[in-house]
Amino acid sequence: MKHPKFRELRGYAFDPSLSLKIDTVTINEIVYRIPWEDLSRGPVGECVEVIDVDPTVSRFYASVDLDDRYALAMAGLDPSESNPQFHQQMVYAVAMTTIRNFELALGRKVLWAPRRMGGNTDEYVPRLRIYPHALREANAYYSPEKKALLFGYFQAMPADKTRHMPDALVFTCLSHDIIAHETTHAILDGMYPYYNEPTNPDVLAFHEAFADIVALFQHFTFPEVLKHQIAKTRGDLASQNLLGQLAQEFGSAIGSYGSLRDAIGEVDEQTRQWKPTEPDPGDYESELEPHARGSILVAAVFEAFISLYKSTVADLLRIASGGTGVLHEGELHPDLVNRLADEAARCSQRVLSMCIRALDYCPPVDLTFGEFLRGIITADLDLMGDDQPQYRLAFIEAFRRRGIYPSGIKALGIDSVAYPKVALLGVDSAQMFQKIGDFLREYRREVQYLSDRQKLFEQSAAFSGGPRGLHSRLADKFESLLDFQQVTGMAWTPGWESVGVSTSPQTPDVPSFWIQNLRLVSRVGARGTQTNNIVFSIVQRAGVKMVGDRLQPVLLDEQQSADDDTMIFRGGCTFVFDLDTVTLKYAIAKPIIDVAAVGAPRLDEVRARKQHTYQFETGPTNMSEFRQYFGLGFTRGINEPFAVLHQQ
Amino acid sequence: MAKTKKKTAAPKPAPPSAGRAITHADVRMYRIGTGDCFAIKFFSGDTETFTMLIDCGAWSGDKAVFEKHVRDLKAYLNNKVDVLVVTHEHKDHVLGFERCADLFTKNFTVGKIWMSWAEKDGDDVVEEWKKDIGQKKKALAAAAQQLSKAVHAKGFEAEMRSLHRGHERLAAHRRFSAVLGDFADLQMSLDKNGLYAGPLAGMKIVKEKIAKGGSGASTIAYWSPGQIIENIAGLEGVRMYVLGPPQNKASIAKEASSDEGETYSHNKDLAKDNAFAAAVNALDAPTTASLLPFDASHEALAGDSIRATYTSSAWRTIDHDWLMTAGSLALRINTGLNNLSLALAIEFETSGRVMLFPGDAEYGSWASWHDIKWKEKGRGKHDDGTPKHLTEDLLNRTVFYKVAHHLSHNGTAKRKGLEMMTHDDLAAMATLDYEVISDTWKSTMPNRAILADLLTQTRGRLMVLRDDGLFFDAKRKVPLADKIASTRAQMSTAVGKAFKKAHESPKKTDLFIAFRVLA
Repeated sequence: MKHPKFRELRGYAFDPSLSLKIDTVTINEIVYRIPWEDLSRGPVGECVEVIDVDPTVSRFYASVDLDDRYALAMAGLDPSESNPQFHQQMVYAVAMTTIRNFELALGRKVLWAPRRMGGNTDEYVPRLRIYPHALREANAYYSPEKKALLFGYFQAMPADKTRHMPDALVFTCLSHDIIAHETTHAILDGMYPYYNEPTNPDVLAFHEAFADIVALFQHFTFPEVLKHQIAKTRGDLASQNLLGQLAQEFGSAIGSYGSLRDAIGEVDEQTRQWKPTEPDPGDYESELEPHARGSILVAAVFEAFISLYKSTVADLLRIASGGTGVLHEGELHPDLVNRLADEAARCSQRVLSMCIRALDYCPPVDLTFGEFLRGIITADLDLMGDDQPQYRLAFIEAFRRRGIYPSGIKALGIDSVAYPKVALLGVDSAQMFQKIGDFLREYRREVQYLSDRQKLFEQSAAFSGGPRGLHSRLADKFESLLDFQQVTGMAWTPGWESVGVSTSPQTPDVPSFWIQNLRLVSRVGARGTQTNNIVFSIVQRAGVKMVGDRLQPVLLDEQQSADDDTMIFRGGCTFVFDLDTVTLKYAIAKPIIDVAAVGAPRLDEVRARKQHTYQFETGPTNMSEFRQYFGLGFTRGINEPFAVLHQQ
Repeated sequence: MAKTKKKTAAPKPAPPSAGRAITHADVRMYRIGTGDCFAIKFFSGDTETFTMLIDCGAWSGDKAVFEKHVRDLKAYLNNKVDVLVVTHEHKDHVLGFERCADLFTKNFTVGKIWMSWAEKDGDDVVEEWKKDIGQKKKALAAAAQQLSKAVHAKGFEAEMRSLHRGHERLAAHRRFSAVLGDFADLQMSLDKNGLYAGPLAGMKIVKEKIAKGGSGASTIAYWSPGQIIENIAGLEGVRMYVLGPPQNKASIAKEASSDEGETYSHNKDLAKDNAFAAAVNALDAPTTASLLPFDASHEALAGDSIRATYTSSAWRTIDHDWLMTAGSLALRINTGLNNLSLALAIEFETSGRVMLFPGDAEYGSWASWHDIKWKEKGRGKHDDGTPKHLTEDLLNRTVFYKVAHHLSHNGTAKRKGLEMMTHDDLAAMATLDYEVISDTWKSTMPNRAILADLLTQTRGRLMVLRDDGLFFDAKRKVPLADKIASTRAQMSTAVGKAFKKAHESPKKTDLFIAFRVLA
């Protein structure tokens, strides 16, 4: 008998607190469906391993065997706060669900960030480690150092004792939202490790926001939850509802009056009433704290969803109300609820996919919200063509209302916001891309049918850096690549040392650069058309010192990092190749050089200055007290940046 | 009599008896190190009528260093002080009593000792609070010590160095550990193993030895916010207002009021670490069942494969990561104790001029001062004619400000503090010294925004304990001393002359900086 397609595992849709209320208990326990894989105790699977060690009391808790026949018969263990094996089950179920949703949207397998060793070698990390009971704190975080998720547990101190029993133990590993949020940090880190480095106020905020967005929109994939909330709000998802809120139990347990975060509104502490938040473009200008800033982005994406949902269901409401658009009093007809739920599910799925796909169209360093918007629009255009422009418009509108504009564009129409397609260029460049195209087709042949993650990683590494890899092939074709330099913003032509970019240690006639994230992407677009792209990023770095008022490039050696005066300035470019036509479609550049300058390469002073001001002035002035004391300064490491980010 | 500036018609206080009217107060900031030690002498003309000593401490310093200053202090005070104020139990405010216990207990008379209500041993509520915070301090010390062992272990260093940018990661881990250790050191006595050994020795010496000296009876007065100290012998025409620490008897008790508005937040804050502290304190003791989150029946059996999986990748183990929670515990304890500082406003009644000594009060305390139900209103009025709240009024009339918490960000509230200190004659003294300070504090002191605001509002009448190595700007190009000098240069002739007179008589020395506050 072949193995089943899915493994069913029970868990909470939200967290244990909703099981204590009559109103929500029926929707809180759901069945997660995970693609079947062989598991050993833990559970330990192909890309995730749950290890239930509690270092605070030096104990191991019995690892769960999800293949036990009683467990298989009943979709896993009964949900229980007091049974750690259920905690292991839930953490596995939600992490895998999040990973799967990502893979579906991205069109490829998720790979974890490798372990970066000295000497620039990368060690493959097959499984994300999950520790469900790692800390005694109202906190949970992803550790880039250990490639692990650490979840804390703590005693509740509710502000309102009617909502939460004081001193009861609260486990963050039982919150769907927190698990999904942390897993997303790990996935994002695997794609763009430099998104951990705050080079502008949007970077860390983006990590937070993106993790929240994924957690939020996963709520819409639970049909019972969706129907329940649609019935409760009578179809008006812009009013207070569970779908738009994150981490209820956590929020009330640490003393807030609402959930930890709410995409649509908040509870006024004085009146204890929920009210919707009005978008204020001033916030984006003034708010620098990562959570608060990130919540602007979350609110924008959620608003895009709401407006799309509203326009999609307008006709249903007209039908249901006999043309007036005003529904009658009392409960909605169950058929109507079902139809509204369907539309909401479809809309949310599309919105979430748009956000995830956008990642492939983002620069590999120094991301801003405006660039994320451009990525969303470009990705959607690339996949859907002219179909359904209302989705793209909704995003642009929602971002606009919050004052988030991409820089460097002349107008706000879809075609201006989308990145322009690469227009080539000199004959040399065109030929070079031809050769690269052939090489990439070869890569595609090798990996197209690989499903084993380790083989994928190894092949990608070989093709990126190996002797015949992309690195040396790009290195070969440098002679007169001013065009390439213009398009990508990388320092390719002789004179790169004068902008602070070191020479490659292996090949002295070539500047240093790194290739990241080489992946094959297959997606199905509108009307079933399939697109095949290869995506990879190139990153360079330069050292920059501020001498008086002037920026001075300095060369960094391998281990040298930022110090009190030197700043690490990174530039990069994400390439999107269409494999079928062997053309470079998009080069999403974050230049390290000034692309407007002619002649020998010059540093992009404008951006370098902006980064310097942020890293040496604004950032440090606005650091949290925790980071001020315990960190080594704004630019240099604080161990566990995500732990600090989540400090309560 | 000094010329005074009156902003509004003040209610007429009883005029002091002729010949005994207080004319000025000389404030001496002793320069032991980052830490407070202030001697204040009140004069009526040339006659000294009253003396105060507020704290005696520094971040560090051996007996020899302290002795130099304490001997000078004793000579200056003629071996007698009318009131000894100990604002709160932090090392940089009480270390001197420990180092120079003999000098303070022998041949030194203390009239009265003033402390905050939170120090009253024997009070039920205070005792319970002390027990709780004692447990948290214990946990902090134990966690700091464990973490220090972990990050200095040979294996750890080797592992870090094998990583990309490994030296930076190692430095980050060690920095965290060092800061944690410094926090622990500040809050309590540590034994030779770095573990909790009880309250700070300096505090004990004040409460037990100095208090019992002289008359033999305990002479400690405990003050609560809202109290007004007046009719003090030797201080005719002077009143002292107790601004902090904020108090809510119910709030220290474990069963805190659930109404957010009433509860003083620092007490609730400490409860956040209950589970953590319990675990740390049990590290070297057998684990009790109450400590475990799950029933023992759920523990892994001996042969469970998961143990092997855990240890197979040593670099991914998390044996010590949980100890980093001690970081936020440290901040909570530190802020909690800072906010328990006795905060006093000393008012010269006729002129209305005020000297503000807030200890190390942080924002939470400052905010609470504005909620005090004083028995009288302020002298000043709002634009609409309603009288101001007395706290705001006192701040408006402040002409001398002992900067709270060594110029840190949290030490001086902005809207509820500095922005209300609008008096033209405002001068400030800040006890910051980069030569005697925890290395790890340099990243938080001075706070540039507060520094800039203070310089503007005092017109340069900002006296820093030691400005060597301090810079005004983030880029560290403008030495603070230069900035202060250039700000003072902008004073008008009259103002400049007045400042010189107040500041340089008696002369500034290595041991102290003096300033005369006119009544």
